[in-house]
Amino acid sequence: MFKRNLLIGCLSFVAFSNMAHAESDPKKWPLVKEAFFAQRPMADAPFITFVAPRRAESGAQVPLEIAIDQTQADANAIKTLYILVDSNPIPLTATYHLTDKLGKFKLATRIRMEMDSYIRAVGETADGKLFIASVEIRAAGGCGGTVDGDENAIRAAAGKIKMNVESPVKFGNATSATFIIKHPMRTGLQRDLVSQGFVPAFYIQKAAFTYNNEPVMNVDFGVGTSEDPYLRFNFVPSTPGVLSVKAVDNDGKEFNHQTEVKN
Amino acid sequence: MFKKILLGITALSICHAALATPLTMESLGNGIYVHHGVHEDMSEGYHADICNVSFIVGSKGIAVVDTGGSLKTGQALHEAIRQVSNLPILYVINTHVHPDHIFGNAAFTQDKATFVGHEKLADAMERRRDTYIRINQQWLGEAFAGSEIVKPSLLVKSTLNLDLGDRKLLLTAYPTAHTNTDLTVFDSKSSTLWTGDLLFVERTPSIDGDIKGWLAVINELKNNEAEFAIPGHSSSIKDANWKEQLNNEERYLWTLLNDIRASIKKGEVMEKTMGTAATSERSYWQLFDIVNRRNVNNIYPSLEWE
Repeated sequence: MFKRNLLIGCLSFVAFSNMAHAESDPKKWPLVKEAFFAQRPMADAPFITFVAPRRAESGAQVPLEIAIDQTQADANAIKTLYILVDSNPIPLTATYHLTDKLGKFKLATRIRMEMDSYIRAVGETADGKLFIASVEIRAAGGCGGTVDGDENAIRAAAGKIKMNVESPVKFGNATSATFIIKHPMRTGLQRDLVSQGFVPAFYIQKAAFTYNNEPVMNVDFGVGTSEDPYLRFNFVPSTPGVLSVKAVDNDGKEFNHQTEVKN
Repeated sequence: MFKKILLGITALSICHAALATPLTMESLGNGIYVHHGVHEDMSEGYHADICNVSFIVGSKGIAVVDTGGSLKTGQALHEAIRQVSNLPILYVINTHVHPDHIFGNAAFTQDKATFVGHEKLADAMERRRDTYIRINQQWLGEAFAGSEIVKPSLLVKSTLNLDLGDRKLLLTAYPTAHTNTDLTVFDSKSSTLWTGDLLFVERTPSIDGDIKGWLAVINELKNNEAEFAIPGHSSSIKDANWKEQLNNEERYLWTLLNDIRASIKKGEVMEKTMGTAATSERSYWQLFDIVNRRNVNNIYPSLEWE
């Protein structure tokens, strides 16, 4: 009798301590917010919207679309957009620096999610005001990931770029561009079985897009951006020209690509 | 005092293990027994019993092929074995790294069984350890208690023979297909091949490796001499024509691959393709809407580079 009671007590303790949160934990955001935007007020941003799965099929490649229903002429125009995933080990996934060449900002990307989480889009205006919109996505296991394959081949292929602009182009109107860059985007959190430590972070840090040599968008990537970073975004080409991108990895290696945009 | 309590718990948990309700086994004759899991998705509502787990009784001892998704399922398998035979359990073989096939391993450590797997299995288990334990705890809660990663000590690089006395098992390791750790087991005495998840029956095949590699392995398996096959997932074995089942799987994978390639060529984005690719296969498979979308999500990004 005594033993039976003891076992029940023990099991229920284990059950309690093992019970992970099966849903996004809203308590994480105050900590993340304080770490990135200490003591700064934030207003709700109904003009920032998401298209995202309620439940992600793969934590490694979660499709996420963000739109801002304003232009750079707007009084509270967003100049910088931070995308954060509350529950990821490294929450800041990417930072987008916007220009008027984008028209109304609309961008699709693919992100990593380690577990169920809120996604935050925090917009910052030129005078430092902050606006926030959130979406909840359920997902699992996108950050630890597997590191496998031939290291030399992976390094050799890293940095290959594909860029497309939708055709036919309507000059002066929103036009969709797609950018992908081959890269393992190693998080620094993947286990290294040789050293018993972790595989060092190895990722694309920046991508700068220009059109006819004028800035269109600068992106600072974090490791929360999926392997083979993917961006699909609208921009407004006024005349035929060349869309260029310069990407840089955290070893300082540069990768360039250009796409001609014509009638 | 503390030590005494611990001893009490240990004694009781062994006693508890011995009282596990044995798994229901399908006896295929010739010393082969298979338990069929149910076709649940691995998310909330998952019960750690979705794949086929088997054992093979030889004159010298027993080999287990896959152990289920929790210690509890592994213990129930252990109990089912002991209802049939008291011979030593010599080998525990995992057909690949997925959690529904490996988390019952801990139920066999007391037998001093040799754990066997693909040459990449131990590494793959280590890399996935934290995530697997966390998400399985989330899904299963208390029912996952005591489950742990038990890695193979005997690794198969290409092929390996295991001796059960009156029968020998031939283990074959494959290049990346369903996963990067796929292994088959062939018993010549009964002409039976355990395919692991290289063959799905009824349940939508899920891709966590390389779809093109998998199609190549399927081509290879078509020439396999085995009369019978025990797939990774199925509700019954009897009267099954495994080559026909293999053809069904091949048809699904080709449809999926061709549809995704066509979408990419047309400039259709991944999010849209997740709802359109391979939908002609929908009526043939269980859990199709969940698994097929996940497959597209997993493989579309790499096919963009073809």
